[in-house]
Amino acid sequence: MKREMIRIENLKKSFGDLEVLKEVNLNVNESDVVVLIGASGSGKSTLLRCINFLEIKNGGKIVIEGEEVDPKSHNLNEVRQKVGMVFQHFNLFAHKTVLENVMEAPVMVKNEDKKEAEKDARILLDKVGLSDKADVYPAKLSGGQKQRVAIARALAMKPDIMLFDEPTSALDPELVGEVLATMKELAQEGMTMVVVTHEMGFAKEVADEVVYMHDGQIWERGTPSELFNNPKEDRTKDFLSSIL
Amino acid sequence: MFDIAHILDVLIESYPLFMKGLWITLKLTVVSILIGTGIGLVFALFKISGIKILNWIANIYIALIRGTPLIVQIFIFYFGLAELGISAFWSAAFGLAMHNGAYIAEIFRGSIQSVDKGQMEAGRSLGMPYGLTMRRIILPQAFKRALPPLGNQFIIGLKDSSLASFIALSELFSIATTQGSRTFDEMTYLIIVGLYYLILVLLFTLLVNMLEKKLSAGE
Ligand SMILES: Nc1ncnc2c1ncn2[C@@H]1O[C@H](COP(=O)(O)OP(=O)(O)O)[C@@H](O)[C@H]1O
Ligand SMILES: [Mg+2]
Repeated sequence: MKREMIRIENLKKSFGDLEVLKEVNLNVNESDVVVLIGASGSGKSTLLRCINFLEIKNGGKIVIEGEEVDPKSHNLNEVRQKVGMVFQHFNLFAHKTVLENVMEAPVMVKNEDKKEAEKDARILLDKVGLSDKADVYPAKLSGGQKQRVAIARALAMKPDIMLFDEPTSALDPELVGEVLATMKELAQEGMTMVVVTHEMGFAKEVADEVVYMHDGQIWERGTPSELFNNPKEDRTKDFLSSIL
Repeated sequence: MFDIAHILDVLIESYPLFMKGLWITLKLTVVSILIGTGIGLVFALFKISGIKILNWIANIYIALIRGTPLIVQIFIFYFGLAELGISAFWSAAFGLAMHNGAYIAEIFRGSIQSVDKGQMEAGRSLGMPYGLTMRRIILPQAFKRALPPLGNQFIIGLKDSSLASFIALSELFSIATTQGSRTFDEMTYLIIVGLYYLILVLLFTLLVNMLEKKLSAGE
């Protein structure tokens, strides 16, 4: 049995009167890669943001590594250290160099020694193929490079789980591959990942489970081949044909 | 009446006196802008905190300052603080600082809100607490954007400091008026003091421009 990393039970989230997540249930085991798909507005980002507590749920349970996280009593900053997040628009710290971006949280949050943190940061930048960009400011990077820095920055906190919210949607098509390759490598190393993406090739190759979301609910789920080749629900079929 | 040779004579002759006033004006302006920047930052953070009571406090403060003449504020500080044994210089400095603070609060609020909200989220997602993210990620970017309007506020503050002459502080403007009435040559002294302010403002504008260039060098 693999260890359970994320368990979500009956998760509810509303913005005012708008019910964005309606009783969502999801389990993610260690080293699993779960790909979330679904139309824009179906609640994918909100689900990821709830897992990282950037949004606070209105109901249900979120269990991270066996421990139920109650936003009122838990130190969310500690939980977030275990759950890294990569955003569609990178969100690199604009006034810091690539190296400083990667070192910031380990030094300021974990009080790591600067020399140690720099060494680790350089190893991570090497891993994402950007060691030559260490002293460059984000504005000078291509979208694909920015996103790889963002991945390195999240990994610097040594998270157990990584969340990706449409990491390649803002990229020029020719830059998508380099980011997906980095993510694939991470998956192969055994990182537990939840990925919102419409890159079906990536999902087929890397995902253990594909989850189709519609209207704030999980409409259908299965292995990539089940979901892509034999979707049971009409909505899933419609959605898949709309994105192919 | 408009005798340049005469103005030059008076300018050279009154130079030591005006230098004393200039020094007081500069001290007053720098001190009140520095304190005002601190006050402005605190109230800007109150305004964006999303905490109702802090919002209220900031809004009331800003409304009071904006809604009343500066000269009234200076006198209130002067008479209020004099009872506590505080000097005219420091009452003027506090009065001007509170005044500048309200405008600087609005400058900071605008510049903080102009920083992409993804920056805060990225920090939080890494486990950085709100205050740390604010200090390390948001404020450095916001300060840079606030610099041009802050420079502008400094210039306004410099000129506003002339109102301190009403509470018997011998800054630039007060020297011009006392010398003017002593010699019955008001116009000459007013022109001279105008020149002093003009040169200060021009020098300061240059300084801000240089600083901006330097700060924007990185990105
Ligand atoms: N902060 C917010 N305030 C109000 N409505 C929001 C907020 N965030 C998301 N929503 C709404 O929630 C719904 C789901 O959004 P989202 O989770 O971003 O969907 P997806 O990522 O699948 O496109 C949308 O209708 C969106 O407009
Ligand atoms: Mg989204």
